[in-house]
Amino acid sequence: MAEKAILFDTSRCTGCHACQIACKCWNNLPSPTGLNENKFSGTHQNPPDLNGQTRLIMTYNESEGTLPTKTVQWAFGRRSCQHCADAPCASICPAGAIYKDVVTGMVTTDNSKCVACQYCSTACPFDVPRYDGVQGTINKCTGCVDRIEQGMAPACVTTCQPEALAFGDRDEMLVEAEKRLEMLKQRGYENAVIYGAEEMGGLHVIQVLKYGVEAHGQVANPTVSPVTTLTNLMKPVTGVVSGVTVLGLAAMFGLAAGYKRDKVVYNAETEDTISLITGDVVKHGDGQDTTSVKDHILENLPGKKGGDHE
Amino acid sequence: MTSHWCDFQNTDVILHCGSNSVENHPVSSKWLNKAHERGAKWIVVDPRYTRTAEMADIYCPIRSGTDIAFYGGMYHYIIENLIEPNLADYLAGKEVPVYNFEYLLNYTNASYLLDPEYSFDVESGLFSGYDEATRTYSNHSWHYQTESEEQWDTAGDYAWAVKPGVPEFTTPTLQHPKRDMTLQDPMCVYQQFKKHYSRYDIETVCNVCGMDRQTLELVYETYSASAAPGKAGMILYALGQTQHTYGAQNTRAMSVMQLLLGNIGVPGGGVNALRGEPNVQGATDMGMMVNEHPAYLKWANTTDRSSLRKWLESQTYSDGYYTNKPKFIVSSLKEWFGENATVENDYGYDWWPKVPSKKTDQDYTHISTFELMSQGVIKGYFNWGMNPCHSAPNASNVRRAMANLDWLVVADQVATESATFWKAPDMSPEEINTTVYFLPCALIYEKPGVILNSGRWLQYRYQAVEPWDEAKPDYEMCDLLWTEICRLYEAEGGANPDPILKTKWDYYIDGKIDPRPVAWALNGYRVANSDFADEKVDLLSGYSEMAADGSTACAMWIYSGFWNNNDAPLDPAAQPIGRRDNDDKSGLGLYSNWAFSWPSNRRILYNRNSADMSGKPWAADKKLVEWTGEKWDLVDQADFVAAKNGAPVPPNNKTFFMLWEQNGRLESYGMEDGPVPEFYEPFESPVEKNLLNGALSSPCMRFAEYESTKHGDAADYPIVATTYSVTEHWQTGGQSRACPALVEAMPAQFVEISEELAAEKSIKPGDKVRVFNNRGSVVVDAVITKRLKPMRVHGVTQHLVGLTHHYSWAGVFGTEASTVNDLTPNVGDPNSFTPEYKAFLVDIERAIGGAK
Repeated sequence: MAEKAILFDTSRCTGCHACQIACKCWNNLPSPTGLNENKFSGTHQNPPDLNGQTRLIMTYNESEGTLPTKTVQWAFGRRSCQHCADAPCASICPAGAIYKDVVTGMVTTDNSKCVACQYCSTACPFDVPRYDGVQGTINKCTGCVDRIEQGMAPACVTTCQPEALAFGDRDEMLVEAEKRLEMLKQRGYENAVIYGAEEMGGLHVIQVLKYGVEAHGQVANPTVSPVTTLTNLMKPVTGVVSGVTVLGLAAMFGLAAGYKRDKVVYNAETEDTISLITGDVVKHGDGQDTTSVKDHILENLPGKKGGDHE
Repeated sequence: MTSHWCDFQNTDVILHCGSNSVENHPVSSKWLNKAHERGAKWIVVDPRYTRTAEMADIYCPIRSGTDIAFYGGMYHYIIENLIEPNLADYLAGKEVPVYNFEYLLNYTNASYLLDPEYSFDVESGLFSGYDEATRTYSNHSWHYQTESEEQWDTAGDYAWAVKPGVPEFTTPTLQHPKRDMTLQDPMCVYQQFKKHYSRYDIETVCNVCGMDRQTLELVYETYSASAAPGKAGMILYALGQTQHTYGAQNTRAMSVMQLLLGNIGVPGGGVNALRGEPNVQGATDMGMMVNEHPAYLKWANTTDRSSLRKWLESQTYSDGYYTNKPKFIVSSLKEWFGENATVENDYGYDWWPKVPSKKTDQDYTHISTFELMSQGVIKGYFNWGMNPCHSAPNASNVRRAMANLDWLVVADQVATESATFWKAPDMSPEEINTTVYFLPCALIYEKPGVILNSGRWLQYRYQAVEPWDEAKPDYEMCDLLWTEICRLYEAEGGANPDPILKTKWDYYIDGKIDPRPVAWALNGYRVANSDFADEKVDLLSGYSEMAADGSTACAMWIYSGFWNNNDAPLDPAAQPIGRRDNDDKSGLGLYSNWAFSWPSNRRILYNRNSADMSGKPWAADKKLVEWTGEKWDLVDQADFVAAKNGAPVPPNNKTFFMLWEQNGRLESYGMEDGPVPEFYEPFESPVEKNLLNGALSSPCMRFAEYESTKHGDAADYPIVATTYSVTEHWQTGGQSRACPALVEAMPAQFVEISEELAAEKSIKPGDKVRVFNNRGSVVVDAVITKRLKPMRVHGVTQHLVGLTHHYSWAGVFGTEASTVNDLTPNVGDPNSFTPEYKAFLVDIERAIGGAK
C-alpha cells in the first residue's frame, strides 16, 4: 500500500455537514442529548469548534464576493487533523498514543496509551487534538486507518455526495488537485490554491481552496514546533526511569505551551499559563480539573491505568 | 421530473429557481458538479445566497413571490433577441444557429390559432371568461379554432371502444386546430404570447423583482443560449416555486420557458421538480389529494364526472395516448371492486365517493379541513404521516381547530406536535376534550415496500430491522382498521354498506398483509387467470395490454410493467423494479437496467423532442432516439408512437403524445387561473400596486376569505418573509430531531437577516429575534449575514428575511422553539390548493428574554 491522502476540493463542497455527522457515527462519538443543551453559534458552523467529542467540523466563512457575478463568497472549510508528514503531535506524545501509521502516513491514535498530558494539543500548529474529559483521553481524527486497512475509504469520504472528498494514493490525489485547481482558475477563481503539498513536510489531507488559504480558515505557513526536536532528543531518556520521565515531560509541557502561544509563559508552580500581554491566566492548571499535571501523568502512566477505555 | 437525477450531468446551463437542491437534495450535487466541470454554466435565482448559490457561477437575488415576472421577462428577452430578429430568415429557409425554430413551430402550439374571443385586459388583470361572483374562470375562450373534425374509427383503430364489456359512451371528436406556420396571424398563440409579454421589459422586471439590471441581463443571456439546436438548459425547482397562491402557474411558467427554448425531452433539459423523503412524488402519483385519483386520473365528482359515462366522455382524449383512458379507469375499478365490478353496474363506479365540485360547494382540501374543524363540521380526524400543528400554514389556527375535535388519531414514529397539540405553549389543556389516539408506525427501514424517487424510479426496499416495540407498518394498521370496519358492517349494518363491503381487499401472503400482492394490483393483471386469495396472478407485461372490457385489473396504470415477471411474482429481485445492472450503455446516464422508471421504463419523458422533424438527434453525441430511414433506433424507451401494428412509424410532429393535440402548450386551457402565466403579487405584498396589471393579487386565489387568514398590510408589517429547510433536518423534524448528531450540527431554528436590517433593528450576533404578524409571533435565533441583502423594489429599499421551520415544542433531544408556521398564511393556489409559505409579511424586533 502506498502513502494515502484525503483530497478535499472546496469547490465541490456544498457545506452539507454529512462528513461531520459520518465521523461522529463511525467513531461512536456522542452529541449532547439534553433539551436545549446544544448552543447555536449564530451561523451554520455548529458546534463552533472541535471539541472532546468532535473530530471534524465544517466551517463557513462569509465575505464580500470577489467575482463580478456573485455578491458574496461563502467559503466552506474543513477543520480536522491534516495528518502531517512531520507530525509534532506524534513526536511529542510521550506514550505512543499518537503515532504515524507507517503504511498510509496517516497520523492515528491508540487511546489506550494516552496519558492525557495534552502535549499534542499544544504542539499542533492547527489546534486540532482536543481533550475528552469523559474518556480522559485525547480525541482527534484517526484517518480511519481501521477502515483503510479493510480496503475502505475514511467515513467522511464515503458519505460525501458531491464528491468533494476523495481518498487514494497521495501522489494521485496531488495530480487530481492540480486538475481541479486549473479548472477553478479558468472559472475565474484567481486566489485558488492547493494546500498540503508541502506544508509540515507534506499533509495527508490535500485541499483545493477556492478562495485561498485564509478564506477557508486554513493556517498560512504552519511550522514544525522546535519542541518536537527536543522531544525526540529526550525520548531515550524518558524511557529509562519514570522520575526522569516526569521531569522531561514537565519541561516539554512548558516549552510546548511556550511554543504555541509565543506571548505566554508557563508557571511551573501553579501550573498556570499566563499571557505576557495582558497578564491574565489563559489556562488554569491542566485546563480540566484541580489535579496537577504531575499527578495526572503519574496516575496515567502505562500499567497504572492503561488499557482500552472500553 | 421529466428527467432524472443522473441526467443533470448532460446539461449546458443549470438554472435553480425556487430550489436549493445541493442543500435539500444533497445527491443532486454529485450530478450537477459533473455538468459544471464539463463546462456547464450554473445560475441560481433565489432571495438568499444559499449553499446552492455558492456552487453557481451567477447569483441573482429575487424578491420572494415574483417568479412569474422573472420568467415573463425571460420570454420577452427570447422573443426580442432570438425569435423576432431571426424568424423571417428561418421562414426564408436560412439556417439560424442561435434558436431552434423547428422545435417551436412543429413541437409546440405556437402556430395554433386561438378562439377569437380570447383576450387579456391589462387594466383589470383578467383574462376572458372571468366570473366575479365565484372568482373563477370559464376556459371556453382559451381553446383553439378548429380547422376540421374527425370521428373515431370504431371499425378500425378504436374497435376496442365498442367491444362487449366496454361501458357505453360517446366517443370523442378530434378537432384539428387551425394553424399558421408563418406565425403571423394575430390570433396565433405566438402573436398573442408576444403581445402578452411585451409588458415584461427588463426595466419593469427589475423593479418588480428587486433585481440588478446587469445581473438579470446576464442571467437571460446565459440561460437562453440553450435555445441553440443541440444545446440543453435545465431548470431545477422545488417548493420555492409551488408554495404560492400562483404556484401552479409558476410551474407552467417554467414549462413554457423550456418549450420556448426547445429544452423539453432532450438530455440535460426538462422541468425538474425535486421531491424528497416525504415522498411528494409517491403522493402525487398515488393521488393523495382530494381531487386526484391514483395515476393522474380524476376522481368521480358531482358535476362532469358524476357517472362512469360522464367520466369517459369528459376525460377521454380525442387523440394521443389518453385515448386509452377508458382502459385505465375500468381496470382501476376492476381492482377496486374485484368480481363485484361488472359492466352492468358500471364496474361499481357509483360506489366511489363523489368529490363536491360545484363552484359553491364546500371543499375538503388541506386548508379547508381545519376551517371545517373550527366550524364543528369535522368531528374526527385521522392524521397519518403528517404534522399539521407544526407544518400547516397558520399552524396555531390548526391547533385551535383540533381542539374542537371529538377524537384525533395520529399515526407517526414519534410524538409529534400534532400528537401532542394540547401541550403547545399557547393551548390550555384543561379546556380541551379531544380524545387522542397515537398509533406508533414503523420507520421505512422497519418494513418492506416500494419506494420512488423524483426521477420516477421505482425500487424495492427490503426490511432492515423489525419495528420497534408495538410499531406497525402503515399498511398493517390499514388492514386492521379495514377488517374491523368490515366486520362491524357485516354484524351491525351501517350507512352506505356497498362501497365498504364490495371493495376487494385480498393483499395477503400466508394470511398476513403484504406489499407484494399490492404490487401485483399496481402493475395490473389478467383477471381470468388470477386469484389473489390463492396467491395466483397473471401479470400484465405493461399498460399496452390493458383493456376497457373488464378483462384486466390495474390500480396504477402508470406503474404497469414494474412488476411483470410471472415466473416469480413473489420475488422483488426478479422483477423490473429489482434490477441492479449499473452498466450505462447509453453513455448518458440512463441506466435503463437499474430499477424501473415509470412509465414503461422511460428515463426522459417526451424524448421524441430530442430529434428533429426527420428524426435526427439535435445533438449527435446525446442520442435518445433516431430514425434510421427504416426504423427507430431507441436508446431510451420511446415516448411516442414508434411502431404501429408491428410496422415502424416514420417521424412526424406528434412529440407530446400525452396531450390530444400532441404538441407542447405555450398557451393552455387546462389551468384554473389563466391560459398563460401572468404576474400577481402574493396574498401579502409589500407594494401597493402591481406594476404589470390592474389586479394586485391573483383573482383566483383560494381561501383568502377565511377570517383566520388575517391579512396583514405592509404599513404594519413591512418586511417580506419566506421559509425554507436546512440540509440537517427534514420538515418538522420528527425523525431528524431524534438524531443527536443532526441536532448538534443545526441545533436551532433561526431567522436570516441582512447586516443592514440588523443594524436598523439593533440586532447583534447571538441575539434572539421576535418575528411577528397578524397571525402569530415567534422567537428565533438571529443569523446576521451578508448572504441576504436589502433590495430595491419599486424604487425603494425592501428588506427580506428567511426562516427555517424544523423545530417546535415537541422533541426529546432538540431545542424548544416557537412554531414558525404560526406566521404563514393559510391561503392557496386554485389548481393545487398548495399554501403560500414562500412569501408573506412580518415585522421583527430584538427579543427580550428567551424562546417561546
